[in-house]
Amino acid sequence: MATLHLLSHSPFSDGRFNSCLPLLGDTDALLLAGDATYALTAGTKPATELEQLPEQVALFALEDDVQARALGMLPPRVQLLDYAGFVELTCRYERINSWL
Amino acid sequence: MARSMLIISRQAPWAGPSAREALDIVLAGGAFELPLGLLFLDDGVFQLTKAQQAASLEQKDLTANLQALPLFGIDSLFVARRSLAERNLDESSLALPVEILDDAGLSTLINRYDHVITI
Repeated sequence: MATLHLLSHSPFSDGRFNSCLPLLGDTDALLLAGDATYALTAGTKPATELEQLPEQVALFALEDDVQARALGMLPPRVQLLDYAGFVELTCRYERINSWL
Repeated sequence: MARSMLIISRQAPWAGPSAREALDIVLAGGAFELPLGLLFLDDGVFQLTKAQQAASLEQKDLTANLQALPLFGIDSLFVARRSLAERNLDESSLALPVEILDDAGLSTLINRYDHVITI
């Protein structure tokens, strides 16, 4: 049933983040890559919105992209992935929705 | 059995080739009788407004192509209620018969298909 949603655009300059969040079902997951990891920036509206997602919604981010951006304190619920973990994750969900 | 696919089209018709490319995927898939759905989200809902005048921008009218979808066996057309409301549009503003879904309906819809493509 569940869908992995993949975002790679910054929530501060693009509407994908805001459009994606309301569509997340209870068993769905969100993976932040590239500039989408800026959504984890502490004290920002996107970071608050991520914290407020239903508990069952899993939140992932690509570790390399997070480290490159010096994001500091991350929301506790985010799970960081390397590329092997990324591939493994895509196999765990029935479908991937890449917000191209 | 053929795998089903949902195409999510979220660009306005005049924002470049995206809207037409999404439609091309749907029409191509329909020609191969794949079970397809097309969801208009965000600015994608602007593709559906009545009385657009493509000629004034020297472009082809996307609405005519959209209206051909039932001929290709594509009658699973969906629109996000939130996207319509944000743009002060309602069902009467739309050139095609579509099913209007709220957020919960959209996540159920996405989880009904084998594949999803968002353009």
